[in-house]
Amino acid sequence: MGLAKYVSYRVVNALIILFFVLLITAFLMNKYMEDTIKTDIENRIQQEVYRNPKYARLSTEQKEQIAAQKRAFYYAKYGLDQPYIIRVLYRAYDAMTFNFGKAVTLRSSSGSSYVTDIILEALPRTILLFTTATIINIILGIFLGMKAASNIGSLLDRSISTFAMFTYSLPMWWTGILFILLFSYMLNLFPSGGMISVPPPSGIMHYVDILWHMALPLITIVFVSFGGWAYMTRSIVTNVLTEDFVITAKAKGVPERKILYGHVLRTASPPIVTSIVLSILGSLSGAIITEAVFSWPGIGRLYWMAISSGDMPVVLGLVYITTFLYVFAVLILDLVYGLLDPRVKVGTV
Amino acid sequence: MYVLGWRGVIREFFRYKSGVVGFALLMFLVGLAIFAPLLAPEPIFYNWYVPTYWSQQTLPKAAPPEWINSFSDKKFAVRQVLDPINSYESPSAYNFTFIYNYQYDIPTYDIYFEIDSSIANNSKMLMLVDLIRPDGNKIVRLIDLKIDQPFVRISLRSLEESIRKIFGFGLAYESEETRKNITERGLLKVLNPMNVIFSSTGEGIVFGKTKPLKGRYQFNVVIFKINPSNKVNQIKMIVTGSVYGLLGTDALGRDLFGGVVWGSRIALIIGLGVAILSTLIGVVYGTISAYVGGWVDEALQRIQEFVISIPVLPILLIMAYVLSPTVWNLIFLLVIFSWPGPVKTIRSMALQIREQLYVLSAKAIGLSTWRVITRYILPQILPYTFALVAFSVPGAILTEAGVSFLLGSQGTLEVTWGRILNDAEKYSAVLTGMWWWVIPPGLMIALAGLAFVLVGNALDRVLNPRLIR
Repeated sequence: MGLAKYVSYRVVNALIILFFVLLITAFLMNKYMEDTIKTDIENRIQQEVYRNPKYARLSTEQKEQIAAQKRAFYYAKYGLDQPYIIRVLYRAYDAMTFNFGKAVTLRSSSGSSYVTDIILEALPRTILLFTTATIINIILGIFLGMKAASNIGSLLDRSISTFAMFTYSLPMWWTGILFILLFSYMLNLFPSGGMISVPPPSGIMHYVDILWHMALPLITIVFVSFGGWAYMTRSIVTNVLTEDFVITAKAKGVPERKILYGHVLRTASPPIVTSIVLSILGSLSGAIITEAVFSWPGIGRLYWMAISSGDMPVVLGLVYITTFLYVFAVLILDLVYGLLDPRVKVGTV
Repeated sequence: MYVLGWRGVIREFFRYKSGVVGFALLMFLVGLAIFAPLLAPEPIFYNWYVPTYWSQQTLPKAAPPEWINSFSDKKFAVRQVLDPINSYESPSAYNFTFIYNYQYDIPTYDIYFEIDSSIANNSKMLMLVDLIRPDGNKIVRLIDLKIDQPFVRISLRSLEESIRKIFGFGLAYESEETRKNITERGLLKVLNPMNVIFSSTGEGIVFGKTKPLKGRYQFNVVIFKINPSNKVNQIKMIVTGSVYGLLGTDALGRDLFGGVVWGSRIALIIGLGVAILSTLIGVVYGTISAYVGGWVDEALQRIQEFVISIPVLPILLIMAYVLSPTVWNLIFLLVIFSWPGPVKTIRSMALQIREQLYVLSAKAIGLSTWRVITRYILPQILPYTFALVAFSVPGAILTEAGVSFLLGSQGTLEVTWGRILNDAEKYSAVLTGMWWWVIPPGLMIALAGLAFVLVGNALDRVLNPRLIR
């Protein structure tokens, strides 16, 4: 597979997944939206016909006739008279253009009830929290993993392996709850949730305040995941360290640090990128729930609120948009992999 | 494995510390799951989400575990069921005297009276309770109630008239200002009436800020027969205490120990069910892919890559709306998304085995593909799948817990660790410091995961040929 073929294959794969999720979303959204539109129409007919003083003198049958006419009119107006397949395709088109209609009860902070507005407001906050966490994880994980690999069997190496094993089975969101209990309820060090104090401070303090609120969720995410990342880096690097070119470099007298961060890391980075992709995939659900626990007003909190208040349009919008972002992120990382791994260019993978 | 034999494998397994610890943890969990009906009665499981069941259990609400008394300098009142020390029947009425010896710092959550009686049709009895405190103060007609059913359970906290009387007693000791403040701001609803009964008189009694009043509390119960044929068969006074059991109770008065014990059963069923099914599918899939090769291999690999890159949680959430949320449906959904996990590893193992001489000869004598796979290749891979199963259990348990936590009442109908934590989050257990509601379920999730990781780790070292040195 050459690079072009590799890229096109990845893109097609991503598109298929999006299409698949789109269909499910459209299918569910259609049923839900039609139900709401129908009750809406019935309410309007009640208002316009049965409670209208203009028709007050008419007999029940005449009223029903007018109501039926109105109903047919509204059904045509909202496309409910179209065949089922067409209606579902409409919804698919809606989802594709990020038009998820209006939320039932949730509102954005500016008061908009459009699902897209609500989600777009929450999205940057999620990205802020998780990109920061991921960057810390990558730096900490790769650094510790390399250290451990260059000293197999050392105290650091053994403690990283044990720590990784412990945190592997720890639910990230529950760790978050524990940290809130410990650091904000008992020790009163950090706020228990939210993103900014009320009333919000101004100037530079505004950003300091956000950082202070972000500290605890950040500590939680990093605490639970960096062990796994370090362990993973360690095993990949250990394998690379046994290869001939490392021994050659050593024999030539290249300094240890240079071998480790120059030669070895360069070779080890493609599999590390793959593993990063896989562990981001694995931690997504935990991360969403963790956000909900910390009342961080991003996507995860929105999931929690939408589910507990039964706001279907928001749930559907969230499912589609998270899948979209997720598939997009995986695609980007896959392409990075393609650029990093020389074998992809030559076409041996 | 064929070199070691079964006994050898077991002996090797226990040579690793992780094997021993993991096995011990696993046995503990399996024990909980199997003996759940003995540890916590079955109705707890079936009625976990039935509020009427829990209101009949006379448990304190939001009570910490009993053993907290050994660690805290403030002693919590414990549960006591009292019989009358004195009873006297006159032609018109019964007189019962209960003595409650209060030697604690934090008063009981509630006091119940259980009366078992025979009442003539359309007739009633009248019950009056006077309370004499150790300091000699009296609350007259603490309870003033009609009894019209053969069995009644009266909760002092649910009687509005009694609560008014209790606060009336307490407010008499407060300053004019406090009294006005409390009534104007409607604070009485958030104050605990038990603090008033069990605190010494003085300013601050309605907030429970005065010293606890220790000693003998006498409850004088008079039940007027009204109809001479009415009879009281039995009367009991239940002091719920403010601590309960091994793990305490939640805000609805549910016994958390019961929930955690029964939750282990669901967690193990889901974890093992998903792990075994998805590993089996993954192993067969990977083997077929490797053995058949060619375009079939190519297609199967693409399908696997497709499934593995679908985000599980959003899809699971949306599916929960479509399918009815039972444990079996959840297992089914999780299997759909987790079978691709072991495929790559198995495929590369099968690729090596495919080239072995005995497989080639089996092929040469014309055995069918299916027969070669099931009789010659799979048996070689199977031992290693034990480790794979162990490794994929934690993921399944974590996902289940996460989904239950997020979905709450829309998730599985049974009580799971994730759902207990969902309730805790809904009642903001963390912000009110109810650690006993939050720590045990999560710790169980972590322990269950750890047990399987440790076992898997040891199995992997024993069974995986690539790791044997």
